[in-house]
Amino acid sequence: MVEVVHIAVPWWQVAALLMGGAAALIGALAGLRRLARARVTAGEAPDWSVPPLETGGGGTLLHRWDVRCKIVTILGYSFMLTALSRPQPAVAAIVISLLVLVAARASAARVLIRLLAITGFIGMFLVVMPLTVPERDGDTLLVLNQVGWLGFNLRGLVLAATIAAKAVAITLLMEPLLATAPLPVTLHGLARLGAPEMVGQMVLLSHRYLHVFRHEARRMADGMRVRGFRKRTDLLTLKAVANFLGMLFVRSFERTERVFDAMRARGYKGRFPEPAELRLKPGDLLFAGVWLLAGLTLLVWDRLPS
Amino acid sequence: MHELTPIAPPVEHPHALLSVRDLHYRYPDGTQALCGIRLSIAAGERIALVGRNGSGKTTLIKQLCGLLAPGSGQVDYQGQRLQGEHLEAGRLSLGYLFQDPDDQLFGHTVLADVAFGPRQQGRSAEQAEAAAREALQRVHLVDKAYKEPHHLSFGQKKRAALAGLLAMQPAVLLLDEPTANLDPRQEQVFLDLLKTFSGTLICVSHDLLFLYELCRRAVVLDQGRVAHDYTLDDLVAQRGELRSHGLDFSFRLVLTAEAEEGPAQGGPVCAPSTADPDAAPLAALEQYRFRYPDGTLALDRIDLAVQSGERIALVGENGAGKSTLLACLLGLQQGSGVYRFDGRPVTRRLQTTLWRQVGLVFQDCADQLFCASVEEEIAFGLRRLGLPKAEIRQRSDEFLALVGLEGFQQRVPLHLSGGERKRLALACVLAMRPRLLILDEPTAGLDPHSEALLLAILQQLEATLLLVSHDIFFVQALTCRTLVMHQGQILQDTATADFLQDRNLGNLNGLAFSYRQRGSDAIRALQHAHEQRHVHDHRHAGEAAATEHAHPHTHRIVHSHPGDDQAHEHPPRRFYGDDLPEHDHDPDHHQ
Repeated sequence: MVEVVHIAVPWWQVAALLMGGAAALIGALAGLRRLARARVTAGEAPDWSVPPLETGGGGTLLHRWDVRCKIVTILGYSFMLTALSRPQPAVAAIVISLLVLVAARASAARVLIRLLAITGFIGMFLVVMPLTVPERDGDTLLVLNQVGWLGFNLRGLVLAATIAAKAVAITLLMEPLLATAPLPVTLHGLARLGAPEMVGQMVLLSHRYLHVFRHEARRMADGMRVRGFRKRTDLLTLKAVANFLGMLFVRSFERTERVFDAMRARGYKGRFPEPAELRLKPGDLLFAGVWLLAGLTLLVWDRLPS
Repeated sequence: MHELTPIAPPVEHPHALLSVRDLHYRYPDGTQALCGIRLSIAAGERIALVGRNGSGKTTLIKQLCGLLAPGSGQVDYQGQRLQGEHLEAGRLSLGYLFQDPDDQLFGHTVLADVAFGPRQQGRSAEQAEAAAREALQRVHLVDKAYKEPHHLSFGQKKRAALAGLLAMQPAVLLLDEPTANLDPRQEQVFLDLLKTFSGTLICVSHDLLFLYELCRRAVVLDQGRVAHDYTLDDLVAQRGELRSHGLDFSFRLVLTAEAEEGPAQGGPVCAPSTADPDAAPLAALEQYRFRYPDGTLALDRIDLAVQSGERIALVGENGAGKSTLLACLLGLQQGSGVYRFDGRPVTRRLQTTLWRQVGLVFQDCADQLFCASVEEEIAFGLRRLGLPKAEIRQRSDEFLALVGLEGFQQRVPLHLSGGERKRLALACVLAMRPRLLILDEPTAGLDPHSEALLLAILQQLEATLLLVSHDIFFVQALTCRTLVMHQGQILQDTATADFLQDRNLGNLNGLAFSYRQRGSDAIRALQHAHEQRHVHDHRHAGEAAATEHAHPHTHRIVHSHPGDDQAHEHPPRRFYGDDLPEHDHDPDHHQ
């Protein structure tokens, strides 16, 4: 019978491990943020007289791929990745995602921004899972000399790393999925796949007006700040925030009505014009098949006995 | 000189393009917006739809393009009632330009948005794109075709919205405040575009000088009724009528005229500063720079000193960096370089307390007013200052009275008119007694009556003032010193009187108002037409022989005022108030 292995670690080593881990995480975050910002600010102003996809390295296989095939394939492949349970195939999935990124000539800055968005989620797993995963036979626990009840389970760490790797692999694919075709075309593809057309229209309008509402909210917040508002834990703050949210809601509601009026005034009758004509070619299906086969291979590898 | 014509009855066109009969409309909240409107509009007419805020202009426009259904009465377009299938077809040839371009630009890119209308008209994707590109070419935005609308400047958005209508080749353009918040250069571009439009034009605006340049017919709305329907010349010539409908903008004409002749009457007294030259300025920036996170350099080596009690104008085109400079002065943004307030460097700690010293009235009051009542709104900042309740009440009453809003304490700010909201925002800031008061485009969206009220209030204030405005009249009336900003730098720091004389600076910043000057001159001439009634001898053709006798009749004498100390000039012309054709043979008697 195999038992749990307890390795006693002196407190200073635990402290060094925790601090080192935290420092590495914070450093990685700061580095990613700086890199993303540098990538965003670098370069000349883009030429808006031509589609950005053409100037930004468009014309790759992924750009030409039928959007319906792209959605089905990448979503299907992503579901396969979520079924992986071992770290090696998960790392291989990251490698595949990186290759796809290169093939799609994706913007490094945007990829980094997407990665930044999931860093907190991944960090939480890496910290919490080793401390909370139930002990099983064969597990190795690092235990602090003086605190016997607090064990750092290495199996938990591997599990968390596997989840993190899968999350990273899927996140890396979001850029090829969403940035190799204009958003209206992607949503049009979704509608052709059976998603309600109204949902696509709402996503499109939300994407457009999210920026407007964000700017309105910022100007209103500035309006409060210049009259002395600072967030505190008191009733006045609560009341001011409630007023702020209420007014933002009223303004957003009124704007929504005006936007709908503007759409009707230009002949909108419930449907947007089709942004592109979709034609499925044999090559599109072949590419989808190859990609899904790669996913299937990862799954089989994952299920093979180690 | 213009000849004054008698007021004509409402025009009835037998084959009107748009006609409105006994139109009534009440909003769901019970507000009666339109009462018995009768209007007939012929193809190709250019109509100015004017009136106070809340007089029903926007509601009428929405009725004309079928966005609102009449409560009673009817709207006809091309001879048919605007409803059902005819309404759906009609919308494709009735272009409505909204006041806020963000409402109208719902497309993913500028090109997609502009092509939306032509696609709805049934054109193919290729035809729609060609029409969109042509329209973008006309509004000088073809180089921004694939830009997302939220990344455009305000003026560009406005032009893109117009392109979306022009691409549909509408028979009628309905414009709601087309020049609101535009800088003069963008305004001129807009005017040029609209002048070339060959269809029917109906324009709602408070800017009568703009309308004077564009339209020939004026329809005045008052409390949902058509109060007058006559030529724009007749409207602007009659100050009494303008005043009674809150449209009297003549106070602007006085100063516009004087700008070319010398110091303005009614402007601030710009005496040389008596302040101790060694005293620290109230606010000072040295080599100040600010760069946005996306890399845009918004402020570049700004050097600025604001002395206590000064009244300064900050002018420049949209995007020159004015708003960013305000944000830095308020402590909302922090750049690099030196910023001293009252002699002390503005550190992060001081930055968080700058709101006690610097007050800002926003361009759009909606950004500033968020409380449920006027009383709460004005008390919001005062509570943050930590004032006792009695003083909060006393200051609230004092400053509401100052801006003419006594008795408004329990009203909801959201339901006030544009002018009232602007004055409330001003009262909220003034009640905090800021040492530096900043006004960002205070006249945006106000009707002339509200502008005149605001001007009177601002002229009374004794505060250090920084006015950001495209409105050269307010700059002239309120400030002594002008800073000209261009591409993030202060190009010129000069006396306002000198700035107004300097055509080069005006041209550089698009602040030269050639058409406004032209319109002002013409309107002043019209407004100085007087009626006189006196006795003259006249020759009348009798049955046997011509007879001559004296009787009184009305003259309308158009004259101009070259200067206060000079005599009036009467041109050799005549206009009789009676309809006797024989008088046309009389010799002129006002040579």
